[in-house]
Amino acid sequence: MNSTYEVIIGLEVHVELKTQSKLFCSCSTEFGADPNTHTCPVCLGMPGVLPVLNEAAVACAVKAALALNCTVHPFSKFDRKQYFYPDLPKAYQISQYDEPLAEHGSVPIVIDGAVAKTVAVRRIHMEEDAGKLNHLGQRLGDAKGSMVDLNRAGVPLVEIVSEPDMRSADEARLYLTELRNILSYLDISDLRMEEGSMRCDANVSLRPLDYHGSLEDLPRVEIKNVNSIRNVYRGIEYEIARQAEKMGRGERIVKETRGFDDQNGRTYSQRSKEEANDYRYFPEPDLPPLVLTASYIEEAAQSLPPSSMAIRQELAEAGVTANDAEVIVADRASLVYWRSATAVFADKRQVTNWMLSDVSRLLNAYGDTFWTARVGPQALADLLALIERGTLSGRMAKEVLDRMYETGGRAEDIVQSMGVSQITDKAAIQTVVQQVVAGNPHVVQDYLSGKDKALGFLVGQVMKQTKGQAKPDMVNAILKDVMADYAKA
Amino acid sequence: MALSEEQVKHVARLARLRLETGDIAQVTRDLGRVLDYMTQLNAVDTENVEPTMHVIGLAMPLREDRVEPSLTAEAALKNAPDPRDNMFGVPRIMDGGDS
Amino acid sequence: MRIYEMTAGDIASKVRRKELSATECMEEIAERIGRVEPFVGAFLHLNLDEAMRQARAIDNLPSGERERLPLAGVPVAVKDNMATQTMPTTAASKILEGFVAPYDATVVSRLRHAGAVIVGKTNMDEFAMGSSTEHSAYQLTRNPWDQDRVPGGSSGGSAAAVAAQMVPVALGSDTGGSIRQPASYCGVTGFKPTYGRVSRYGLIAFASSLDQIGPLARNVDDASLIYEVIAGYDPLDASSLRVEKALPKATDVSWANVRIGVPKQYGSSGLDAGVQARLAEVISRLESQGASVVEVSLPHTEYAIAAYYLVAPAEASSNLSRFDGVRYGYRAPGADLLEMYENTRAQGFGEEVKRRILLGTHALSAGYYDAYYLKAQKIRTLIRQDFEQAFAAVDVILTPTTPDLAFRFGEKSQDPLQMYLSDVYTVTANLAGIPAISTPAGLAGGLPVGMQWLGPIMGEESLLHIARGFEKLWPSEGWPALGGDA
Repeated sequence: MNSTYEVIIGLEVHVELKTQSKLFCSCSTEFGADPNTHTCPVCLGMPGVLPVLNEAAVACAVKAALALNCTVHPFSKFDRKQYFYPDLPKAYQISQYDEPLAEHGSVPIVIDGAVAKTVAVRRIHMEEDAGKLNHLGQRLGDAKGSMVDLNRAGVPLVEIVSEPDMRSADEARLYLTELRNILSYLDISDLRMEEGSMRCDANVSLRPLDYHGSLEDLPRVEIKNVNSIRNVYRGIEYEIARQAEKMGRGERIVKETRGFDDQNGRTYSQRSKEEANDYRYFPEPDLPPLVLTASYIEEAAQSLPPSSMAIRQELAEAGVTANDAEVIVADRASLVYWRSATAVFADKRQVTNWMLSDVSRLLNAYGDTFWTARVGPQALADLLALIERGTLSGRMAKEVLDRMYETGGRAEDIVQSMGVSQITDKAAIQTVVQQVVAGNPHVVQDYLSGKDKALGFLVGQVMKQTKGQAKPDMVNAILKDVMADYAKA
Repeated sequence: MALSEEQVKHVARLARLRLETGDIAQVTRDLGRVLDYMTQLNAVDTENVEPTMHVIGLAMPLREDRVEPSLTAEAALKNAPDPRDNMFGVPRIMDGGDS
Repeated sequence: MRIYEMTAGDIASKVRRKELSATECMEEIAERIGRVEPFVGAFLHLNLDEAMRQARAIDNLPSGERERLPLAGVPVAVKDNMATQTMPTTAASKILEGFVAPYDATVVSRLRHAGAVIVGKTNMDEFAMGSSTEHSAYQLTRNPWDQDRVPGGSSGGSAAAVAAQMVPVALGSDTGGSIRQPASYCGVTGFKPTYGRVSRYGLIAFASSLDQIGPLARNVDDASLIYEVIAGYDPLDASSLRVEKALPKATDVSWANVRIGVPKQYGSSGLDAGVQARLAEVISRLESQGASVVEVSLPHTEYAIAAYYLVAPAEASSNLSRFDGVRYGYRAPGADLLEMYENTRAQGFGEEVKRRILLGTHALSAGYYDAYYLKAQKIRTLIRQDFEQAFAAVDVILTPTTPDLAFRFGEKSQDPLQMYLSDVYTVTANLAGIPAISTPAGLAGGLPVGMQWLGPIMGEESLLHIARGFEKLWPSEGWPALGGDA
């Protein structure tokens, strides 16, 4: 870290809300439909049409605001943000400008399961998404022009604006991760950055240590629309280095918008913001103010799921390590799975271990998630119960799990059909042990003369004869007993 | 509070209206006269007056989140000047286009 | 009495009772339009074949259904800024030439459901910006009382169609007087309800916080009848009122109980002598009936024009941004997107529309918003408060509808500011959201004079009742002779 400046980062995150219909009309929000088949006079911006606000979008936005510890305003309003672009049908976006839905929230930055820092959320507001441009030819600006699909136009978004509180690319990464964790429990968005249902713009500036003016006045570079948390991190890292180098050469940083090229890991200039856009915001005359009663807000607050920190606490109390807990916290499906499985199987650490190792391995192999896992929480619990009862060894259980995943069968049925049930009959093991002891007198002698390693060989011989089905701890104990008798004899 | 030709050009650019060079002077005069007339509003003390953004004090009505049939792409594009592959064609976009 | 001379109420009741068929009515209306329209030019689009089909459909309804139709068989003209699926909707602008909306405005579907037959779309000032209908991109509309004169505007086509007896009733829209002023110039009744009474869904927005649809008719009863059909909450318009609409009582007005306010600020210079004389007569006739006529003060009226011509163009500049040549309407060629936008809008919009877009864009632009748009919206609050205070003391406020009479073509269009100033009596009702109706009060020099009645917010019931009472005191002058009328 260069000692002559401080990194200042603020993030603007757009999240698409998972409603059935659009923000201001009744068209479907479903992803991937044929071009312009989810459009109507309202979202096409036809002359004479009017917006009517979707109540589910309000409910989602209020939940998000409360989960981010924001104050939800009982009175907020909508404004028109005006600019011309072919993906914006009315040439204005209905957004919220100076009286947003909610303000003054926070997101914790969590390191090793503990809050290392709190990033303030300045505001959260609702707005409508734009359509999609398809460029003929290779890129924007090609002579052939572009084509507009308005299926996405009017899909509800919330924009979450942080204060410029982050001081490194890593903090930005952790903020985004935790923001996504928190929102994921609310089930209000798909939160898929690669599909655009969560989008991030990063504002990066470097404050010279001898600068004490307003952070707002620093020349700020906005990195637009980066499609993964990793690329946000890379873009910011690159931008810090680029600006630091320019400053080192005594050059001025230009306020501008930059894109991120994930092929070469660099940001590139898109448009100079020197001549700022004049969005001519004014209150949307077609929409009266949004008035939320105290009881509405209170009910929404009561219905919130536990926070990410509460979940970490819950996992820690169950004996889950901080590292494992982060994996579960970051994937709501795994949390739901974990809770279901631990409800029916008491050894929570065992559940965690199996989920994060063997079940995860199978999910990856089959392209599944914990939502779609073909071995559900109850089936996993049944399998773990067989281990606990001694019917299966850990190694055998892995094979059984593989078969369960492959066939969808129950653990006990598979154990039977595979004939892999563990031998726990003392007499049966004793018989095999006596044969092994009898057949390996030298090894037994080695053991008795103090070579502990010899025991391992003998155990291996017993397991081999039982095709691995003998219960290892029983084999151990019986071997020792038999050899003790042998020594006396 | 007269208006300069530069301001008129700036506003025309914001509004995406091409003004012919020969018309700018006339437009500037017309708008200047109207804006001069508006200066009488400065005589009114509105220090403690709330603006009327909505003349009737309604609260936002909310719509149930239910999908209704959309238009077909054909109907959506029926009035389009340059339909291409069920999308709205536009000329090439230079330099971001929205500044 | 000829069918075209009948009121909408009479036509509907006869069609309901099968004393008149909708088809027969429509045939005579079509004949009347064919004979008179060439002298007036009220319509931008006529669809008489479709109208005949609708009329036949009404005649073919089972009588139980037909008897429930409040506008059974009534021919209606609709201003061309309201969306119709069966006819183009252009707002008299080149930028929407040939545009056919894929939906009906709420008022249009309510008319249809009530049994009305929509005969055509009427001419107007482009995007409702103007007071003479001279700003139509397509044609002039002539005042049926004097074909050298304008019909007023922006709903000039609707007013002229009603005055020329081509239809008994028509819809107009009123942003700063666009129903009342042409009603006054054409000697018909024009009614602008309280803001939010009538759904704006499907009305091509001029200034969203001021626009309101209303009827033009040849008497107050017909205006009330249309109002009853088109008013009421619409889930497609978030600004529409959820309260029950109030209809006027059928009783006579007992004038002794009516308090009428006349604003002292309105009798100022610029008022035509003929109009002034007529106002004095009206007041004395009302007083002779026992009404109490008192002076009221609306001190912020002098700022109304300035406030209106900031708020309306600002909202218009935003509402008209969607006309960008991408999804519908006119597109001019351009080498790139920016050129296409600028050429399309420069060629597609007329001069007055462009002037207002520039004015409105300036009023909202960085550094000017507070001084212009916000300031104007604050003045609006003061104007509202003026009315609230006035209506504490009176039931209704009476003014002339316009300071002048229908003027000759070209007489005023050279000076935009002068044109704006003549809206002085009408814009306050839009700024305050209150209902207002213009009723004919005789002629001055052969041209109609209109009186405007203003009521408090949601005070339609009493306002229409009083206006109808006045109509009885002031018999109609009859209708202008046109196209071979005897």
